[in-house]
Amino acid sequence: MIMQSEFKSLREIPPIDYYTAGRRTCAGCGPAIGYRLISKAAGPNTIFIGPTGCMYVANAHQFLTSPYSVPWHHTQLGGGGAAAIGIASALRTLMLKGKRKPEDINVIVMGGDGAMADIGLSGLSMGLSYDYQRLLYIVYDNEGYMNTGVQASSTTPWGATTTFTPSGKVKPLGNTRYKKNVALIAASHPNVKYVATATLWPPLDLMNKVVRALNSGGPSVIHALFPCPKGWFTSPADTVMLSKLAVETGMWVLWELIEGQFKLNYRPNPRKHVREYLSLQGRFRHLKDEDIDKMDKMIEEEWFYWNESAKQEKLILPY
Amino acid sequence: MSSEIKNIPPVAIEKPKFKVWNGARAIAEAVKVADVDVISAYPIRPYTGIMNALASMIANGEFIADVVIADSEHSQFEIVKHASAVGARTFVGSSGVGLAYAAEAIIVTALSQLPVVGAIGTRALDDPGNFGMEWSDVLMFRDYGWLISWAKTVQEAHDMTLVAYRVAEDKRVLLPHFVVLDGAALTHVATPIVPVTKEQATDFLPPYKPPYRIDPIDGPVTKAQHIAPSLIGPEQRKLVDVATKRAKEVIVEAWKDFATYTGREYPPFIEAIGMEDADFALIGMGAYMKDIEIVAKRMREKGVKIGTIRLRYVRPFPAEDLLRVIDGVKAAGVIEFGYSFGSPFGTGSLYHEIATSLYETNTRPELLDFLFLGGREPKVEHFMKAAEMIIESVHKKPQKKAYWLTLRGEDI
Ligand SMILES: Cc1ncc(C[n+]2csc(CCOP(=O)(O)OP(=O)(O)O)c2C)c(N)n1
Ligand code: SF4
Repeated sequence: MIMQSEFKSLREIPPIDYYTAGRRTCAGCGPAIGYRLISKAAGPNTIFIGPTGCMYVANAHQFLTSPYSVPWHHTQLGGGGAAAIGIASALRTLMLKGKRKPEDINVIVMGGDGAMADIGLSGLSMGLSYDYQRLLYIVYDNEGYMNTGVQASSTTPWGATTTFTPSGKVKPLGNTRYKKNVALIAASHPNVKYVATATLWPPLDLMNKVVRALNSGGPSVIHALFPCPKGWFTSPADTVMLSKLAVETGMWVLWELIEGQFKLNYRPNPRKHVREYLSLQGRFRHLKDEDIDKMDKMIEEEWFYWNESAKQEKLILPY
Repeated sequence: MSSEIKNIPPVAIEKPKFKVWNGARAIAEAVKVADVDVISAYPIRPYTGIMNALASMIANGEFIADVVIADSEHSQFEIVKHASAVGARTFVGSSGVGLAYAAEAIIVTALSQLPVVGAIGTRALDDPGNFGMEWSDVLMFRDYGWLISWAKTVQEAHDMTLVAYRVAEDKRVLLPHFVVLDGAALTHVATPIVPVTKEQATDFLPPYKPPYRIDPIDGPVTKAQHIAPSLIGPEQRKLVDVATKRAKEVIVEAWKDFATYTGREYPPFIEAIGMEDADFALIGMGAYMKDIEIVAKRMREKGVKIGTIRLRYVRPFPAEDLLRVIDGVKAAGVIEFGYSFGSPFGTGSLYHEIATSLYETNTRPELLDFLFLGGREPKVEHFMKAAEMIIESVHKKPQKKAYWLTLRGEDI
């Protein structure tokens, strides 16, 4: 099979979809839009693995329909890392032993933040210690356990309300933990060939990162921020705009690490105030001005490190 | 399945070549001749030796397989589950709390009907760090569609592994399969055995061909989707149920074929010794049956009509065969290493299976339970005592059903 090369313009995007009709995600679902772009970029020789979460339950669902026109297999909530290794190992061994025609096959895990940053973090880390090729872990980060009704995960942002972190009279802030940076954890694995962050905007950035990850020659991770109208209390029409605002306010940093070399993909200049991003989201409605300013200051401080990393072309930990 | 079998050898079997192997090595050697593709390992005593042996065979180029070192038992079982879905023949294993840790992945493997084969070296579920032998780790998975066979000897553990692949991968079954070895008693004890040769294994075991592979070659297959209880909940369960029921005929067939290829014959479900005219029976499984059979033999020499019944499978449970061999017995004792706290009359897990089966007979024998719990090793005297107690039960109605024979202090 010919390896997919990078897309130079939106016109080059193939019209064919591998994530098609037959799903019942919410209107404006960020992970669903992401799934469509990711599967387009990966092409037909792909196996998708779905740990439990919205991209399982709301897709390969109870009415016995399936939106996937490529092979797809569920795995347990914490099984994403291992399931991909099982499939990659089987393909490689069967090809090696002459039991299957040799061919490039992509193995992609579409795991939520709960699945990959919490319960499955150990399995993800194990997966990244191997050398199977065309193995991509997408951490689709909607910043919470959405399928179970919006509970906080370790990637829920500071100050967001969830059903586990409500804003109350005694505890007004909501979530008091800081968002875990899964891409940085992934980057600390010596065998990982490619690590990137992405969101729905710009779409070519996401799609080309998928192509680069799959062609990188080893296991790879894309930590992708995908807005969730249900859990963020946002309008379904705003999903892509929120992705853009996350980048333009500096709240979400687009970067990639190619064989250890750091590259900043977008520098917001001038950076928009985080208020523009937060004010569209019901989950931040309770925040006081001083909370929002604190958040903006945190972003400012963090960006010192991103700029420095960009200058030196290597990762410098911002925390 | 039998139509696919070729090259039935002439009855004259070559002079056997013995090897002295422990249970762990014997299982690993079976995995080798079964041409397994993907193996997943995580250490826990006493099963670990199997994986150690496999890793060194592969490192030395004795056969080609991928050994994936997992980060946990949960990952370990997820790895083989998915490798199996792609069409690889897989091997896995664990013991004690390792199985408990992997419970979720173990359970869904059967419901996805993936014929993974795993070896269990039995071990107590830790009440901190108990290394002893108990059956509770295996019996925890009695209810989820795994086939479970239990070896008495190193030879049998070796042979059972090949038969496990044959049964698990049969299109009428497609269920995962545990081969159980009693911890230490089999995993770590070396005895001379006759290995299955590569040629015998190749003829006996056709290649694994899953009906719906997860592979782009076979087109889009969506597997293990969300189940709507109202739409296919009971039907999906029924599929597994039917498969476990069908497994019975497949098991009988497989052991028969196994004898043709290797010359080693086993009764498929139950090994009954001295049961033809028996008044009394000792019932059990696994490695300690060797001692129990010696006890029965000694008592026979003294004129007591006693026999032994050894179950080779707990899933599917051979109730019909059990009833056939136990017919006419006045009193029987179950010897077991598994328990269920708070159970009816304080009896153990195997007792429940046997008592349920016996409920169907008109001439129910007196049934006592002898429990060996917490990992303390039983001695031949304990089995002797059990035999004496069942004999006595015919004359004097016993006060209780269950007895903890290795317990120090009062058995209340
Ligand atoms: C072991 C286990 N624990 C809990 C659950 C319940 N559960 C089902 S979906 C889900 C949410 C997963 O969250 P995430 O991975 O972030 O994906 P999202 O639903 O947000 O898309 C949870 C917790 C489960 N299926 N398995
Ligand atoms: S809850 Fe969020 S992630 Fe789940 S389907 Fe709805 S929008 Fe998508």
